[in-house]
Amino acid sequence: MSSRDWVYERFSEFYKSPRYEFPSPASFSQREYGFLLFKERAMVRHKGFASSTALRSFVRQRIPSDVYHSCAYYENPEAEMDKKGWAGADLVFDIDADHIPTSCGKIHDEWKCSNPDCGVSGGMVGRGITPDMCPACGGVKFETKTWACEQCIDTTRVETRNLLDMLMADFGFSEHEIRTFFSGHRGYHIHVESEAVRSLDAVARKEIVDYVTGIGIDLFEEKKRAPHRSRQKKASTPTFSLGDYGWKRRLKRGMRSFLQTASKEDLKAIGIKQGGASAIVKNKETILNRCIDENRWNIVRGVGYETWMRIAEHVKNREISQIDTVVTSDVHRLIRANGTLHGKTGLLKVEFPVKELDTFDPFVGAVAFKGGNTRVSIWDAPEFKLSGETFGPYKNQQVTLPTAAAVLLILKGRAELAEVQS
Amino acid sequence: MQQETVKFTENDLAKYPFLKETAVYMKKLGLDIEELTSPELGQILFRAQDRLEQAILFVSTGQKGRNDIEIPSFPVAIMLAIATKNSFIKKRYALAEAKGAYLDFQAEPAERLMAIAQDFDWNIAVNSESGIPLDYFSVSFSDYLRNVTHLREAKWKLVNRLFTNGRVFLSQHDVARLLQEEVQRRIETRLDAKEVPQFPQPIMDIAEKMTELAKEKIGESEMEGFPKEVSQSAFPPCIEVLYDAASHGRHLGHVGRFTLTSFLVTIGMPPEKVAEVFKTSSDYNARLTRYQVEHIAGSRGSGTRYTPPSCSTLQTHGVCTGSDVLCRRIRHPLRYYLIKHGQTKPESQLQK
Repeated sequence: MSSRDWVYERFSEFYKSPRYEFPSPASFSQREYGFLLFKERAMVRHKGFASSTALRSFVRQRIPSDVYHSCAYYENPEAEMDKKGWAGADLVFDIDADHIPTSCGKIHDEWKCSNPDCGVSGGMVGRGITPDMCPACGGVKFETKTWACEQCIDTTRVETRNLLDMLMADFGFSEHEIRTFFSGHRGYHIHVESEAVRSLDAVARKEIVDYVTGIGIDLFEEKKRAPHRSRQKKASTPTFSLGDYGWKRRLKRGMRSFLQTASKEDLKAIGIKQGGASAIVKNKETILNRCIDENRWNIVRGVGYETWMRIAEHVKNREISQIDTVVTSDVHRLIRANGTLHGKTGLLKVEFPVKELDTFDPFVGAVAFKGGNTRVSIWDAPEFKLSGETFGPYKNQQVTLPTAAAVLLILKGRAELAEVQS
Repeated sequence: MQQETVKFTENDLAKYPFLKETAVYMKKLGLDIEELTSPELGQILFRAQDRLEQAILFVSTGQKGRNDIEIPSFPVAIMLAIATKNSFIKKRYALAEAKGAYLDFQAEPAERLMAIAQDFDWNIAVNSESGIPLDYFSVSFSDYLRNVTHLREAKWKLVNRLFTNGRVFLSQHDVARLLQEEVQRRIETRLDAKEVPQFPQPIMDIAEKMTELAKEKIGESEMEGFPKEVSQSAFPPCIEVLYDAASHGRHLGHVGRFTLTSFLVTIGMPPEKVAEVFKTSSDYNARLTRYQVEHIAGSRGSGTRYTPPSCSTLQTHGVCTGSDVLCRRIRHPLRYYLIKHGQTKPESQLQK
């Protein structure tokens, strides 16, 4: 039996278990479903189901590696795209370590040049973020093996926290309207199933994306329009004013909290010159109480336009949420279904209460396969935790692992079954 | 949220004939279109024609008359505009009515303005936040977003708004401006009649006259399409970068790929030439690329022909590369191409 067939059997067992229930999204029968089939590795789309029982029996019969449903509601989910009759869509956000710089530097990810004529025999291999071009041959095609570490998840958690704060404080959604999920791989999904957002078109959703990612804030735009301004000594006072609402509140609050604790080194790290950094640290009270609270930006000598802009820019980047911009503005998007397995990890997409973002551990809560052990040959795997147990690191060795860990390593291309079973 | 406390008067309906209540008024009036050409009702038809003429020539709705002529002249003008089957006239008329209303909205007392907003199902209230001017209104963010999609100035971006707890705080002037968008959309929807009924001959004659007038007004310039040959030197900076990346085999993200393909197809590059641009790409698959390009060009699938995203969408998705002088004047990459093409000599043309 191949390793992949073995994983297929685990997926099959999981979905066929009598205890398995399909958590259904709102307006279930109006959703389009899509499946990536395990064996055929092909996508089946435009499926609709009248009940979760019908969906469950389809999944049990076909055993997909991934299950998706539309964020949209359709009058006729099975019709062709332009005949479906779009009747609104949830507002969804995808926060994924794939597109966010993380503190781990993705050192656990591997890439291999696919150019058959690469100067390095078998193709050059490296770790971390995949380069644009192979350093050995200039090739641009790579095979990659990704990994999700705790730091990846921590980074996406911070972004998710920022997003949730905006959704609740600014957009006014209650905890009941917001659903938070671990994506099953390396990030989070946020779904807003509220009447207020259902009918918003792609342009309106794009405006929400711009809000969440801080695009178009006028004080930064002004700098773009008049780049010469910072060089003029006389015009060194910023014209912006902070306040108590929207982004002006976020910037004000963020600048306050950043400057309250910032050391000279912190300030220099964001590009502020020695003189400015000293002046800020020395005049902290004035900076906090007069400059920020009263919008008087020119009363501390040595702290001018350029310095304030650097601080504001830094704070903006701390306050935004790095969502996948395409997902949120696409009103026809398919998104992984809650309670289904991720084909790259064998972990579940799983929901948890909004307020448990900081305490919910996906490497425990998203584990689908309980019990059972299997012997696998591992080429290379970093240390990882699953269900509270620590494994690895492994290098070219055979190990007996719990099913969940074995599935993860096989799907990640790090291991194969140790012996061929009959 | 707010109960409708204001009852619209006939004066209101004469000013704002697009309100739902006009239908009730018209029903009571029981107007028969066959009689429109009679001497008694002739004034209504005359005023309706005036509405359209003023719209075509000056984006205005002209001098208001007596209520009993003013109110019915609106649905009759709608009928005339539909009879022209001319999209320029329809757009222009909706805009003129909306602009006229916008001027009047600014002078309305708060209660009436809110009643009008509620006619469009807005969730609107008088501001009760102490930190915000008392004469401001608060509007739900979804009503706000629905109506700023065409407004370009930085002040309309949600990031630059007084915004908290789902409410956007707006001055009367801003509310009036957003309602203008609502009015325009409502009228455009009414003008977007799928089936055009058979109108009496006098109506058709006026429609014909209006079409002639519109032709004079717009001239031939608007009718021009894209230049026949593809001119690479007129590409906007974002497309230049994408084109360069694709032809050197560098990977493009989904949005980038879609933008480049739809741009090239729209300016008239044949799909097979477009597919060739991606040939050196590392993950090039001839059949798949061809399929995707033809899909975007509308020769497959739903038949929809896709155009490239606007500048602001490209900014959102990080495809915009920063603007040059011309970029600041336009908001769509195709517009850039048209203007630049008009300025440059067609020297570095790509083979079509």
